[in-house]
Amino acid sequence: MQITFRQVSHTYQPGSPFQSTALSNIDFTVESGEFLALIGHTGSGKSTLAQHINGLLKPTSGQVLIDGSDIHADGYSKKTLRQKVGMVFQYAEHQLFEETVEKDIAFGPKNLGLEEAEIAVRVQEAMEKVGLEYDEFKEKSPFELSGGQMRRVAIAGVLAMRPEVLILDEPAAGLDPMSREEMLQLIKALHEKGTTIVMISHSMDDVARFATRAIVLKKGAIAMDGTPAEIFRHADELEDMGLDVPVICKLARDMQKAGLPLEDGIYEEDKLYEALLHLWKGGAADAQ
Amino acid sequence: MLNDITLGQYYPVKSMVHSLDPRVKIVLLILALVTVFLPENMLLYIPIAAFILLTARLSNVPFKLLLKGIKPLRFILIFTVVLNVFFLPGETVWLEWEFIRITKEAVLTAIMFGIRLVLLVMFSSLLTLTTAPVALTDGLERLLSPLAKIRFPAHEMAMMMTIALRFIPTLLEEADKIMKAQSARGADFESGNLMARAKAMVPLLVPLFVSAFRRAGDLAMAMEARCYHGGKGRTRLHVLKMKRNDYLALLFMALLLAAVIVGNRFL
Repeated sequence: MQITFRQVSHTYQPGSPFQSTALSNIDFTVESGEFLALIGHTGSGKSTLAQHINGLLKPTSGQVLIDGSDIHADGYSKKTLRQKVGMVFQYAEHQLFEETVEKDIAFGPKNLGLEEAEIAVRVQEAMEKVGLEYDEFKEKSPFELSGGQMRRVAIAGVLAMRPEVLILDEPAAGLDPMSREEMLQLIKALHEKGTTIVMISHSMDDVARFATRAIVLKKGAIAMDGTPAEIFRHADELEDMGLDVPVICKLARDMQKAGLPLEDGIYEEDKLYEALLHLWKGGAADAQ
Repeated sequence: MLNDITLGQYYPVKSMVHSLDPRVKIVLLILALVTVFLPENMLLYIPIAAFILLTARLSNVPFKLLLKGIKPLRFILIFTVVLNVFFLPGETVWLEWEFIRITKEAVLTAIMFGIRLVLLVMFSSLLTLTTAPVALTDGLERLLSPLAKIRFPAHEMAMMMTIALRFIPTLLEEADKIMKAQSARGADFESGNLMARAKAMVPLLVPLFVSAFRRAGDLAMAMEARCYHGGKGRTRLHVLKMKRNDYLALLFMALLLAAVIVGNRFL
């Protein structure tokens, strides 16, 4: 499945004194199987952009195309769109409402009009994916779970619709380190099984570890678009925008400044390790 | 989805009217409403209308916005005028057919009612457009504070109103977010019959209430942590003080009221 943004702009409350432009002339294409990270300062338009992908917001001008067809054209089924493109909001646990975990996860599939038996299969499957024991949790109220578990239920609710593309708005925000890591591993596993991922994140370390591509937004426009390696080569520019860079990136840069002849754009732990090892061995060879 | 709801319709610009003391503005509104109901002669509405126009001009609020307040009232307005035209008694008959009897007096009174309604709404809109909701409750609290002697909880009322107003945008935002989250899961809020729509609200309302209670708990805790213990002995950040313009505004209003009263005598 291919997502294309063509000259998309979005203005909130046009014509009122509170008018504000959130996106201007956004152009990009996401192919099947990508893991796209959306990065940007608070208010740079990341969430607004994400909400355009599954048609929750309509562009003020421009088009959003999915497999070549305009999602706001007459006759384009919103239901199919919502099934294909799943969206997990920030603090997704705030959307839970049913009496039991099972019923809450079944909400999406039910809205799609699926058969009871199919729904049951999907709920079980989704719970497995997020690591919640079906028999243990199905009858529990979502409100008696821990924060991390609640978020898993919310994500399972989206996964039960079997989306081809999953949009996640800061899925790890506010979780303790362990739940955080589990959440990221879950997303990684989904990506490996073929789901296209679009993830909004503030953590550059997460972007460095998981993303295959990153788009940096600045004041509603695309400032950079490329692989993490390409993006993190511009570490200084990112910092000028008030964004962070991965820890390894900083370390490599500091080492460069201290005089080590490292190449530019190292942001992965093992790459830095290899480069250092190479230098050390090379250095040792010179000494002999 | 809920972007269109602008609440408290406060129009944030700088102007002489905006900077008036909120207490004064509330008193002005009360006086203005009295003035609107006094005239017995149509001509007396000319100075009142002029007064509104002048105030609107001084307030830097687009006149269009002021008229927008009348829009939701248009049916009541038409209804009142039409009803009055047909059913008020009068002497000078203009039209008589079957049971319908339209008299000059009825038409004039009907028009007068219409004018009164429009002016009423415009004066009230002028207050809400030029006064931030929090300033408004603050002013109200101060005006009602003498009632504390008869144990009227003026401070508590004002605090409740302020908190409610403060959280309306927050809750709207929250509602918008939850609505989107449920829409993303295929929920449909817009179609179906009344029953289906009411049922569709459950996935919106439950999370909204849960979050409202959570916020209320957090806020109560945060207020207590900062030693809030009710209104007694509490000093204020913004001490309301009457300035020259406030006295001038009151003076103008009093003059208008007097003019209308005198006018009633002689016209």
